[in-house]
Amino acid sequence: MGRYIARRLIYLLVVLFVVSAITFGLMHAVPGGPFDREKALPPEIIENLNKRYHLDEPLLMQYGRYLYDVFIPRISATPPQGSVDDDFLITVKLGNVWFKWMNFGPTYSSRSRTVNDIFRQQLPVSAQLGIMALLVAIIIGMPLGILAALKQNTIFDYLGMSVAIFGVSVPVIILGPLMIWIFGVTLKWFPPTGWGAKPPFVLGIFPRELGPEFFRYAIMPSVALGLGSSAIIARLTRASLLQTMREDYIRTARAKGLRESLVIVRHALKNSLIPVVTILGPLFAALVTGTFVTEVTFGIPGMGRYFVTSITNRDYPVIMGTILLYALILVIANLVVDIVYAYLDPRIRYD
Amino acid sequence: MRTKLFLLISVLVLAGLVLGACQPAAPTPEKIIQTVVVEGTPREVVVTATPAPAAAGPKVLRLNMGPGDIPTIDPALATDTSSVQIIEETSVGLTRQNEETAEVLPGMAESWDVVNNEDGTQTVTFKLVTGIPWVRWNGKEVEQVLDCEGNPRYVTAYDFEYGILRTLNPKTASDYAYVLAFAIKGAEDYNAGKTDDPTTVAVKALDEKTLEITFNEQAAYNVNIAGVWVAHAMPKWLIEGDDCTEARGDKWTETGFFQGYGPYTLKEWVHDSYITLVKNPFWPGLPSVPVAKIDEITWTMLDEVPAFAEYEAGNLDVAGVPLADIDRVKADPELSKQLVIGPVMCTYYYGFNTKAKFVDDVRVRRALSMAIDRQSLIDNVLKGGQEPAQWFSRPGLTGAPTPDKYPDLGVKFDPEKAKAELQSYLDEKGLKVSDLDITLMFNTSSGHQKIAEAIQQMWKEYLGLDVKLANQEWKVYLKTIRDPQATPQIFRLGWCQDYPDANNFLREVPTKGGSSNPADGGGFNWENPKFEELVVQAARETDPQKRVDLYAQAEQILVYEDAVMAPIYWYTRVTVTKPYVQRTFSVLGGLEHIEKWDITR
Repeated sequence: MGRYIARRLIYLLVVLFVVSAITFGLMHAVPGGPFDREKALPPEIIENLNKRYHLDEPLLMQYGRYLYDVFIPRISATPPQGSVDDDFLITVKLGNVWFKWMNFGPTYSSRSRTVNDIFRQQLPVSAQLGIMALLVAIIIGMPLGILAALKQNTIFDYLGMSVAIFGVSVPVIILGPLMIWIFGVTLKWFPPTGWGAKPPFVLGIFPRELGPEFFRYAIMPSVALGLGSSAIIARLTRASLLQTMREDYIRTARAKGLRESLVIVRHALKNSLIPVVTILGPLFAALVTGTFVTEVTFGIPGMGRYFVTSITNRDYPVIMGTILLYALILVIANLVVDIVYAYLDPRIRYD
Repeated sequence: MRTKLFLLISVLVLAGLVLGACQPAAPTPEKIIQTVVVEGTPREVVVTATPAPAAAGPKVLRLNMGPGDIPTIDPALATDTSSVQIIEETSVGLTRQNEETAEVLPGMAESWDVVNNEDGTQTVTFKLVTGIPWVRWNGKEVEQVLDCEGNPRYVTAYDFEYGILRTLNPKTASDYAYVLAFAIKGAEDYNAGKTDDPTTVAVKALDEKTLEITFNEQAAYNVNIAGVWVAHAMPKWLIEGDDCTEARGDKWTETGFFQGYGPYTLKEWVHDSYITLVKNPFWPGLPSVPVAKIDEITWTMLDEVPAFAEYEAGNLDVAGVPLADIDRVKADPELSKQLVIGPVMCTYYYGFNTKAKFVDDVRVRRALSMAIDRQSLIDNVLKGGQEPAQWFSRPGLTGAPTPDKYPDLGVKFDPEKAKAELQSYLDEKGLKVSDLDITLMFNTSSGHQKIAEAIQQMWKEYLGLDVKLANQEWKVYLKTIRDPQATPQIFRLGWCQDYPDANNFLREVPTKGGSSNPADGGGFNWENPKFEELVVQAARETDPQKRVDLYAQAEQILVYEDAVMAPIYWYTRVTVTKPYVQRTFSVLGGLEHIEKWDITR
C-alpha cells in the first residue's frame, strides 16, 4: 500500500506539470490580454504594465519563470519583504536563513494582493462552506437513498426520490434567493448574506471561533449548496443498494439465517457504498475549492469567484493558481477514494 | 473491519461532542451586542423607547460596493469607481469636484495662480492648505503619523510631488498615469521610459506649501487634472521606508499599514468581504470637504440582488435596485418614497465602422441611428429612468451641451426621415433593402443582448432591415473592435467620465487615436479635420458658453453630419436610501462625498 501511495504521489507531480503546461498554453492562446480595457490604454502604459508583470518576455521564459517560482524552493538570507513579488506560501526560518517555497505570483486585478493571499484568505472560506455542504449532502442523501431502496416501490421510495429530483432540478440560483427571502428577510432567522469567519484562520483552514454565530451564517448556504449533491447521493445510494440486494451473497447471508438488519448493514450497505464513495472524491474537490453561484448569491468571500473572473480578466497567475489547486485537490481526493475502496471491498488490492 | 467502522463512528460522535461543546463554551462575543444595536431596524429602536443609547452610539453607515474585491486603494494604481470612492474619502486632491454640480473647487490647494507661457504651456502654482496631518488607524483609534523625531507629519507639497512622480514612474505601472502623462510637461517621456530622470517632469515643490506644475496646454481643465486621484499626496516614508518606518511597497494600503489624510481613514479591509472607514478626528474641514458627521462607513461587497435583500432586511442603508425589482419598488408605498433615480456621467452607444460595407455611407448610418426609438427602449427594456441620448458627451459634464439649451442638437428618433435617408442610398446604388447585409456586434451579456434585440426589432419595423446579431466574450471583443480588418459594421461600447469635462468624452474617444478610433485602424475608422480642430479649440476656450457652443458643433458632426456613432442612452442610477440617511446624490459616476452625509434617527 505504501509503495502504491508513493507511486500515485509521483504521478501527481506529473499530472500537475501537464495541467500547468496545458493551462498556460491555452490561456495565452485565447485572444485578449489582461490590460485590454473598454477605455483602451495608451501603448506606453501597456508596455509599463507588461514589463511590471514580465509579460514582455518570450512565453517559454514566462512559463519557466512560473515553474521556478512555484516549484523550486529558495534559501535566502533576507526575511520576506512583504511585497507583492516576494510572497511565498511557505516561509520557514532556519537559523539565520529563510526557506521560501511556492510563490504563485501577483494578481493583476487586485494590485496589493497575490495568488497566495487568495489561498490564505478565500480558500479557507470556500473549504469551510464546501465541507459543511458535503456533510449536508451525505446526511440527507444517504439515509434517503437507503430508505428508498429498502422500501422500494412504496410511498417512502416515491417521496424520497421526489425530494431528490427536486434537489437536482432546483439550482442554487433559484433556491438561494428563495431561502434568503424566506429565512433572511421575512422570518429573520439567519443573516441574509455574509460569512461568520474572517482571516486569519486557525491552521490555515478553521475559523477562530466555531460558535453559534458561525453557524448562523453557514446554515443557509450549506443547505442550499448541499441539497443538489444530496439528491445525487440519494439516487446513487438507492440504485447501488438495490443492485447489491440482488447479489448471491445476500441470498446466502439470508439463507444462513442472519438477521435482516445485519444482512443490510454488514453485507449490503458496505458493498453498495463503492459507487457513492467514487463520486465523493470529485464532489469534494468541486465543493471545497469554491462554488461561484452559491458564493455570489450569499455574499460569501470565497474562492469560487476567482475561477470565473480570472478567466474573463485574463488574470494569468490566478488562472494558473486556481486550476493547479483544483487539480491538486482532485487528484488527492481520488487517491483517498481509491484507498477507501480497499477497505470497503477486500477483493480490491493495489500491490 | 467492524472495529474500523466503530472507530469511524466514535470519531464522528466525538466530533459531534466537540462541536456541541463549542457552542455553550463560546460566550456570545461582545461584537454581537454591538451589532444588534447597530443593525436593529430604526423602528425597533424607536419603539423600545430607549433612544439614548442609539443617539449616543457611533453613527454607522452601511453601504454596498458591488460584487468582488476592491481592486486597490492606492491612488497611483486605482482605475475604477469603487477604488476611487475609498481614495476620495481617505485623501484629498489639490482640487476637488463638487459631487452635485461637477464644479471644480479648491481641495488641498486653497488657491492657485495661472500663468500662460510663451511656448504655449501653462504654469499653475498651487498654494496648499497647511496643518493637515497624516493619520492611521492603530487598531484602537485614529492617531497622527509621527516622523522620526516624534513630530506629526503634515501633508506638504513634497508629498504631492512624490505622489505625481510615483504615478508617472514606469516601474509603478499605473494604468491612469496616462492622464498625467498627457497633460503635464515632460511627463510623457518619463512615463514611457525615454528618460530615467524624474526632474524632467515639470512638477516641483517650491516649499512645503507651494507646488508648481507646468501643463502642456493652456487648457481650462488643467486644474481638474491636478485634482485627479493619481495626483494625490502619497506617504513616501511608508511606501519606500525611512529611518523609523518599515517599507511596505505595494502592500502599504493593507489594514494596519495604511496612512491617509482625508475626512476618513481605513479601519479594516477584509478582502472580498467588506471595507470599513473610520472618521478622521484630525481632519480640520475644508470649504469643499467638511468634517464628517458619520463615524464609520462600511461597504459590503455584494451582488445587487443579495444587497437589495440586505436592504429589505434592514442591514444596509443604501442599495441599488435590481432590474427585476424596479416595478415592485415603484408600486410599494414605503419603498417608492426611498427611491431616487439620479444621473451618472456615462453614455451607452453603438459605433459604426465607417470603412465597412454599407455603413461606409453616411445615409445608412444616419438612418440606423434615427430609427432607434430610444424612449421606448428605456421604457420597455432598461426601465431605470435612463435618458435618451441625442449626443455623446453626457449633459452635466463641464462644457457638455444640455437638452434644455440645445433641444434640437444631435440625433433623435425620426422613422420617416430614417426611411428617406435609407431609400436615397438604396436608389443611388440600385439595391433593395434585403440586399443589405449588416452585423451588429456586442460583448456577451444578457443586458447588451436585450438591448440589441430590441434595436434589431426597431430596425426591422421602421426600415424593413434585417440586421444580424453577433457577440463575443469581452476581451476577445475588445481585440476585434480595434482590429482594422475584423471590426464589425456596428459595435457596442460605453464611456464613463475620468474627469468631469466634455474633453474627456469628445477628445479622448472619437478623435483619431482616441479610445474607439485607434490610430492604426479599427473602431470608427474615421477622421474629420473639422471635428479634430473643434475639440482642440474647445479645450483651449476659456469662455464657458463659447466652449459649450464649440462642443455642440463637434457633436453635430459626430452624431449627425458624419453619424459615426449612434448615442443610445445616458446612464442613471436607481437607488433606495433609508429615510434616516441625509445624503447628497453624486453625478460623478457613483462617486459619493460621504463626509457630507448624516444619519438622523
